[in-house]
Formats: sequence, C-alpha cells, structure tokens
Amino acid sequence: MTIFLKKFGTTLSGRQFGRESFAAFKPSLRNVKNKDKVVVDFEGVVTFTPSWGDEFLGSLLDKFGKRLILKNTDNLSVQATLKILEKVRKINFSRNGRNEVIYVYSKKI
Amino acid sequence: MNTRLLTIGQTSEIIGVSIQTLRRWDNSDKLSSIRKKETGHRYYKENDVENYLKNNLKDLFRLAKNWVFNKKGLEPRSDFYCQDSSVFQARLIKLENELSKLKRLGRTFPLISAIVGEIGNNSFDHNLGNWPDIPGIFFSYDLKKGKIILADRGQGILETLKKIKPGLKNHQDALYTAFTEIISGRAPEHRGNGLKFVKDVVISNEISLIFQTGNAQLKIQKNDSDLRARKTTANFHGCLSLIRF
Repeated sequence: MTIFLKKFGTTLSGRQFGRESFAAFKPSLRNVKNKDKVVVDFEGVVTFTPSWGDEFLGSLLDKFGKRLILKNTDNLSVQATLKILEKVRKINFSRNGRNEVIYVYSKKI
Repeated sequence: MNTRLLTIGQTSEIIGVSIQTLRRWDNSDKLSSIRKKETGHRYYKENDVENYLKNNLKDLFRLAKNWVFNKKGLEPRSDFYCQDSSVFQARLIKLENELSKLKRLGRTFPLISAIVGEIGNNSFDHNLGNWPDIPGIFFSYDLKKGKIILADRGQGILETLKKIKPGLKNHQDALYTAFTEIISGRAPEHRGNGLKFVKDVVISNEISLIFQTGNAQLKIQKNDSDLRARKTTANFHGCLSLIRF
C-alpha cells in the first residue's frame, strides 16, 4: 500500500491535525496484509513538522515497524523532521543512498 | 476602503504606545490625526493605523510584546490574531506560499514555515482548554525584512513542562530543557519536541531566534553550540518569539 501524504495537504503541521489525519485514514489500513510493505510518499509535501509527523508517522511506525518505507523525502523540512523523530523515538531510518529518497525503519541497537 | 475613525485611546491600545507619544507623532506628522475642530479630540483613520503597523515591524514586535505583557488580556487586532489552530493553519499556508516566492531562500523556505508551524502549534497543543485569559496566538510577519513574530498569553513553558518534569525550578531551566532535552515519554501528555527541532533548524541555517517565556530569554543563531537562557527583568505568562532570516 502507498500513502500519498499530499492527499492530507501540503502543509502538515500540528498534533491535532496529525491525529485527525491518522484517525481518518486508519480504516484504510485494514486492507494491509501481514507481510505487505507500507510506503509513505512525501511527493508534493511542502512543509513537514515533528508535531504532525509524530502523530501520523509515529502511529504508522508503532503499527508496521520495519515494513514502513518512506519515499521522496528530499524536501528539507521532511529531512529535518525525520532526524528529530529518530532522536525522540530512539530509532534509525536506514537511507538507501539513492538520492536519499527511501527510508527504511530499523531499530537502533 | 475602511474609513472608520478610532479615538486616540483606541489607537494607543492598538499600536501599543502612550497617548502622549501619539500626540507627539501627530505634531511631527509621523502618524497624523483628524480633528473635527482645531482644538477638538484627535481621531485616527483605521486605515492609517493599519498601514502604519504594516510598515513598522519594529512596532509590530512592540505590539506583540505589549500584548503579552499587558496585565489586562485583550484580543489582538483580527489580522494578527489566530484564535484557534485552524486559523493559524490557514495563515501558515499563506506564509509558506509567500516564502516560496523569496528567491534568496531557495529550497530552504520549508524549514522556516516548519519552525513557525512548530512554535505556533506548540502554543495551541499545550494550552488547549487551559488558556489563562485570551485563547490563541498573535502571528505577524514582514518578509521584506525577514522577520516573523509569534506570541501567546498561555501558561508558559515552565507550567506546561512541569507536568512531565516536576523538578524544574524556574523559567530559565524550563526554557533550556524545552530547547535541548529530548523528552520521549508519552504520558501524561504528548510532547512534540518541536522546540528541539526549531533549535536544530536554526543552528544549521541562516536563521536566528529570540524566544521569551516567563522571565527567561533564549537567543539562538547559526552554529550556536552553547545555549544559555538568561533571566530578564520583566515577567509574563505565555511565550514571545521573533524569527529573523
């Protein structure tokens, strides 16, 4: 499954908005099967922040862990937010090196 | 065109200067009044006052400062006032759009809208249902001068952070903690760690920030490694910030 974040808006800021976005999308996640990857596509997102990210991405991380793939993350606010989420949640996103466009979640040792 | 007239008292509250100062400005034509009789009361066109504020960011910052420091809680003027997070969200999108047109920022402009979003939403997230008097935030900017101002009359950092760190002693400790210490606990309330994000973005880019809460002030700029919150003489409840880029 691919989640296109721009469908929630291009300015993704605020816990309240992040919570509402996840709550609205949650029913669609029922279609994800056990081994399916969940791809989050940041294409078209202009402003991305830790408050929205923690509510939305954080909930996806809790649910899917290593099955989560983050794509098109070259926007600077996306990169800065992912860095702080790594620190807060004590995790590492593994960058695959191809223009840093895909992040794979893995637990920090 | 808005031709409503304001009394000198109303104008004084809106701009945040004394009536005596307004009289002086009138005499020097800095901000002219209208009088129905030569010796009568001074009135000001609302449009003139709005234009004055728009063209004087130094005064906009003073206006925000007066608003948070004023013992009497008053709603700010509507064009600077975001009473709830949905109004703020709409104005943040407008700011983002205007920032994207500034060539000098290149692809860094989303970092500025992101830190503004974090500071503004921090005010809403930590004060929802607990605003001491006026709910919402003051939000204004002058992109030509590269300045953005946010303020709230909320509980302030110390009061909200104490719920997670009861040992915090004063506003300086609280301010330092908010900007430097990662808090990963989810209970009793969600913490965004948004101000750590703000600090990380500021120290890595051509941005500076002055952030005040209670009687503590923090100044951050590019490459700062040793942050220190200093004590100020005046004290207020809430937060006041000035971003320059």
